[in-house]
Amino acid sequence: MKRVDTVERPQWRDYAERVGFQFHTFDGEPYWDETAYYQFTLQQIEDDLETPTEELHGMAMDLVSDIVRDAEKLRQLAIPELFWNHIYNSWTNGEPHLYGRMDLVYDGKGPAKLLELNYDTPTSLFETGFFQWVWLEEKIQRGELPSGADQFNSLQDKLEEAFRSLPLPQPFYFSSVSDNIEDKGTVDYLMDIAQQAGMDARYIAIENIGEHDGQFVDLEGYPIPGIFKLYPWEFMVREDFGKTIRTSNTQWLEPSWKMLLSNKGILPLLWQKYPDHPNLLPAFFEDTTQALTKGWVRKPLFSREGANVELITEQGENISADGPYSDGRYIRQALCPLPTFRDNHRHTDSYTMIGSWVVGDSAAGIAIREDSTLITKDSSRFLPHIIVD
Amino acid sequence: MKRSKKVALMLMVPTTTMMLAGCGEDPAEAVVFSSPEECASLVTSTSADQCYADYRAAQALHPQVAPKYLNKAECENDFGSGQCEAAPQQHASGSFFMPMMMGYMAGQMFNRQGGAMPNPAQQEERTAAGTGGAAGAAANARNGVRTQPLYKSRDDRGTFRTATNTPVARQTGPVTVRPSQVQPRAGQFAQRGGFGAQAAARNSYGG
Repeated sequence: MKRVDTVERPQWRDYAERVGFQFHTFDGEPYWDETAYYQFTLQQIEDDLETPTEELHGMAMDLVSDIVRDAEKLRQLAIPELFWNHIYNSWTNGEPHLYGRMDLVYDGKGPAKLLELNYDTPTSLFETGFFQWVWLEEKIQRGELPSGADQFNSLQDKLEEAFRSLPLPQPFYFSSVSDNIEDKGTVDYLMDIAQQAGMDARYIAIENIGEHDGQFVDLEGYPIPGIFKLYPWEFMVREDFGKTIRTSNTQWLEPSWKMLLSNKGILPLLWQKYPDHPNLLPAFFEDTTQALTKGWVRKPLFSREGANVELITEQGENISADGPYSDGRYIRQALCPLPTFRDNHRHTDSYTMIGSWVVGDSAAGIAIREDSTLITKDSSRFLPHIIVD
Repeated sequence: MKRSKKVALMLMVPTTTMMLAGCGEDPAEAVVFSSPEECASLVTSTSADQCYADYRAAQALHPQVAPKYLNKAECENDFGSGQCEAAPQQHASGSFFMPMMMGYMAGQMFNRQGGAMPNPAQQEERTAAGTGGAAGAAANARNGVRTQPLYKSRDDRGTFRTATNTPVARQTGPVTVRPSQVQPRAGQFAQRGGFGAQAAARNSYGG
């Protein structure tokens, strides 16, 4: 695994905007960054990332079976008791799930370590599945990369296959918060793939979902038989329409059992069930009487994009990220620092994290994020990668 | 190979062909029937199964879209004596009433599943050609007529009308309509805004 400098494609920003990738630059800072790429060997991809991703996914899925039957664990995850039945039923009825992303620490050797599961509302999907793929194709065409260069990125193929094969009702709705262009971009991409797979896909903003007679309805008042929502389950169960979730016939993507896996409490539960697993870091539910010590990280049960994460390095440096999730409980996880790579373009070191995608139950590719700090955030840059042997 | 065989976008790329404005709306074909039996006896291009499927779709919509009245008398005042039935919806002191379904309008063949299924064969799908090429998109044609129940008012028994009182035909058979004028609406009972509050409060959600 190495970081290789390369030239940017001329006019890539124009192209990005033409294909709906409006958020390639955030607040004047680059989000998509093609001044460099990461290069892996096929063995690194298959042995160190693909295989462990599917193993970790399987372990997490086994844990769902335990949690849905265990009141103590449901309480540890702060799941409202009113929804225990819904979650149990969605799991035991085998309600299908579409996708997830797990975030890993990996530096090219040794076992990758799981930082967390983003199994409810993962984003950076379009960048991975589409834009990164086109980047490689064009770099090969331009003679700037060898023609045999490959990429661990079957995301779009696998999503299309999932939309063809999952038992989903029609019409099927896709929903996101209306004023967030990144989330809307992610949902637009999923709808595009769903339409290519022959689905009747329709958009509704999450704020526009209606409720009538215990059912969710669209803007014209028709029942919503199925919906993908890029909106956290832990918000939904606590909002006004939470009660309607329990009475409606709407089928959800992700299904409600996914709220167990998107919860940081899954990390201590994984460590309890699989202690000393090579891809896991020690993790525990927080004892608030114990101060955070060197070599440990503190994460809220519900948090996204690094928000409200705090850590103390082995050297005693305290690093934290602000955020809106300071109102809940926390877990502690052993610190496994992200590896650093030299960024010659910016003359700094970058901390690099690997997001590993899962579609259905298959590993489906990776997304690489770089930040100037140990905590990867929504503003962290996205870099493409290649496989060359 | 560890990557997708192709990547394509159909809808995300805006083109001028997608600028379909309401004033440029094309009329669409639909067919009015008083019963599925009539449909099966008249129509040669569709099967009897399709006749019954359309009828069931219209029947399913009927309690959602039919105009609702607080009592039977008010309903019969508009739709005629003996022409009203109890609706499944309840108000504080009993059932709402609604007119009986007097027929139905079947939408177009490619549009039978409720309004938005484009024919895959008509979709032009292009692989993204990158910065040097033209990325394409197909127009997402959602101009179909939704299969729906029809009603007859007390003072005009000869005319089939939609739930929102748009006259569509004086007899059964093919009709030409503006889809937006016959788009059924059922939203008068729905509450909205029950999701989204925490996103507004936190301004951070995806991950």
